[in-house]
Amino acid sequence: MSALLEIRDLVTAYGKIEALKGVTLEVQQESITCLLGPNGAGKTTLMMSIAGILKPRQGAIQFGGENIAGRPPHAIVAKGIALVPENRLVFPTMTVLENLQAGAYQQGDKKTIAEDIDRMFVRFPRLKERIEQQAGTLSGGEQQMLAVARALMSRPKLLLMDEPSLGLAPLVVEEIFRIVTDLHRDGTTIFLVEQNAHMALKVAQHFYLMEQGKVSFSGTPGALAEDEVIRRAYLGSSKT
Amino acid sequence: MDDYAIGVLTNIGLISFLALSAYLLLIAGEMSFGQQAFFGVGAYAGGMLTSMYGWPLPLAALAAMALGALAQFLVGLPTLRLRGLYFAMATLAAAEMARILFELFHFQRQVEGEPVGPDGSQGFRGIRWVFAHGVEPLEYMGIIYAMLALALAAFLLVERSRLGATLRGVGEDPQLAASLGVDVNRVKLGAAAAAGALAALGGVLYAHHNTYIEPRNFDLMLGVHSLAYALIGGLGTALGPLLGVVLDIGALEGSRIFHGYRMIVFGGLVALLLVWRPRGLLDERSVQWLKRRFS
Amino acid sequence: MTDLAQNTLDGLFLGSSYALLALGFTLIFGVLRRVNLSFGPAIMFGCYAATWVNLNFGVGLMALALITVAGAVLAGAYVERLCFAPHRNGSPIAAMVASFALWMQFEELATIALPRHIYDFPPLHGGTPLEFGGLMLRVESLVMLLAAIVMCAVLWGILYRTRFGVALRAVIDQPQAAQLAGIDVPRVFVLTFALASAIGGLAGFLIAASHEQVTPMLGMWSTLKGLLAMMLGGLGSLPGAVLGGLALGLLEAHSQWFLGPQYRDLLAYLLLFVLLAARVPWMTTRSAS
Repeated sequence: MSALLEIRDLVTAYGKIEALKGVTLEVQQESITCLLGPNGAGKTTLMMSIAGILKPRQGAIQFGGENIAGRPPHAIVAKGIALVPENRLVFPTMTVLENLQAGAYQQGDKKTIAEDIDRMFVRFPRLKERIEQQAGTLSGGEQQMLAVARALMSRPKLLLMDEPSLGLAPLVVEEIFRIVTDLHRDGTTIFLVEQNAHMALKVAQHFYLMEQGKVSFSGTPGALAEDEVIRRAYLGSSKT
Repeated sequence: MDDYAIGVLTNIGLISFLALSAYLLLIAGEMSFGQQAFFGVGAYAGGMLTSMYGWPLPLAALAAMALGALAQFLVGLPTLRLRGLYFAMATLAAAEMARILFELFHFQRQVEGEPVGPDGSQGFRGIRWVFAHGVEPLEYMGIIYAMLALALAAFLLVERSRLGATLRGVGEDPQLAASLGVDVNRVKLGAAAAAGALAALGGVLYAHHNTYIEPRNFDLMLGVHSLAYALIGGLGTALGPLLGVVLDIGALEGSRIFHGYRMIVFGGLVALLLVWRPRGLLDERSVQWLKRRFS
Repeated sequence: MTDLAQNTLDGLFLGSSYALLALGFTLIFGVLRRVNLSFGPAIMFGCYAATWVNLNFGVGLMALALITVAGAVLAGAYVERLCFAPHRNGSPIAAMVASFALWMQFEELATIALPRHIYDFPPLHGGTPLEFGGLMLRVESLVMLLAAIVMCAVLWGILYRTRFGVALRAVIDQPQAAQLAGIDVPRVFVLTFALASAIGGLAGFLIAASHEQVTPMLGMWSTLKGLLAMMLGGLGSLPGAVLGGLALGLLEAHSQWFLGPQYRDLLAYLLLFVLLAARVPWMTTRSAS
């Protein structure tokens, strides 16, 4: 299996503060790869750097044979990467349908868009029930599904997900992860940031641990005892 | 020094009070489009006291400052909890109301057989205390700069003190300041009152320099200008707004080059300058750098 | 009673031009999250361009309308490139101060090009006002109202029936999500600016033609009215801008009748101040710092 996404020595900074201090990792084609780590490790910064919202200072992001580091967000989407951001970020005053239409902004063909929307409603029946409802009034779980559906409307080859389970009830979290495995089974490559290490390890084929701006561990679930992983994911390694 | 130079320097001094007034509020985290109103309050109050009631200028100036402080305090009470553009619009509305009220304000008194006092949109003429007491233009300029120097000294002292740090803290992150126990509203109101007093001082000096004021003098343009001077000169130090005033009134108007094109040139320069230096010339970073270099 | 009706009618006509000004201003504010102090001055540039052409060449009314709009769009593009594009990821204050600096440029340019204080502008309709059930209707007011309605309808069509409209509304609603959805946000900024300038230009033309004159004060005046109406209607809301404009027009018409022109402006500012001070919810829903 070849790597769909390769990140090499990526450095992203906010002014003088380096949030990413040289990140190197790979996401294999058609895998679910998971990124774990404590708060402040730089996971969201990494996602934002891949998505083009943040411009890295150094390093490379190889995707589809090109280095896409520093490209603007709409170019990244055009290349086939879509990010479901932390905090979901739906369009609050637009309806569910309009949110999906916005996600399809770069798709040209009205017919394909309509078909894609129908497909989304099959995958997410609860969204279909709320089709004309304003997205800001949906529940947390529904917004998460909407955010995922919107990202899928751009027909990405790589789906980035930043903490999809954040703030959701356990039953809803299970549903989200079921969707993740369904998407994977249907051929989408997924790169997933999670705080919920337990659920993440159940679905991932490979995972990375990130601490203080760098990757501190890379392996398959089972390579490290789960409670060790969870400890590191929440508290970081005890390196003094 | 020729009369023209004295005139330009005097103007710089007078407008500097306004720019400092806007600067003080900016430090406290509020953008005001309305300092010109308190400039006007000072001008009218001071002018009325000296020309209608024979008060000596120093006393009238103090009274004008008190009035300016009170006025800005009263405007600030209901509005200082507003953020950003909302506060700016509230100050704009208040200032325009003040200007209209000046237009409607007719209050005259017989002094030595002549009616003296504000006459609505006809203006207020005869503010002659300075000339009646034989103060030469150069001397008056000196007085203005002495007052300005005092104000600057006060600013520079405060900037080094805990009050200054509190003020900037409130301006940059009011929530953090509040969580550290600072009464944010009290600090802002205090800054507002001080800003009002400063603007009013400039106003009373202005009125006595021109001897004639009218409501049109205190319009939105003046207010936006003073705000701009502070933002262009930089918010790192009280010298920033002065730099802004000097650049506009001094370099361009004073030098008499670009006569007739002054605003076009100045406007273009400012826009370009802001691309290079969005936080003004003497912004916090530059001031830190300068301090390190010269200490 | 007829007075009340007449004032209401006049207020609606006046308010329709304010509504257009407010729409243009709000588009820029809603999409770019920035205040454009050169909004009115760019409109004035368009009006002055049309005035200059009219003085030297005498063309038809439609041509003048086109020139005004084109001039406003051109001036708007200049403002966008110099004041807003460079600060897109930076300080909103810097953008605003830069737009103030360009406002100064436009004003001076206007007084240099056309030095007199007032210039004639051809009227929308030279004929006598209509009478309708005891009410006086100036034809130009009717034209203004109609033009405003058509413009609103066109804008609505753009916003809700085109791909660009989806992008625009998305950027207003949640700019970061818009980026992630693949919308070219910088391009949306440029196009929105052009759209807002065009609407403003049309408003400017209608106002100049209905007053049959232009003055250098038109710049600041338009910005103020646009700003006032936008704030009255609820910051950053497009339907609010229309309502705010109409409300402002009605307020001005009625207070002018009962209290005279000076009190008319006083009342508008007083209303704004009171609404802000009371922190009425519809006025403070959107982030504006």
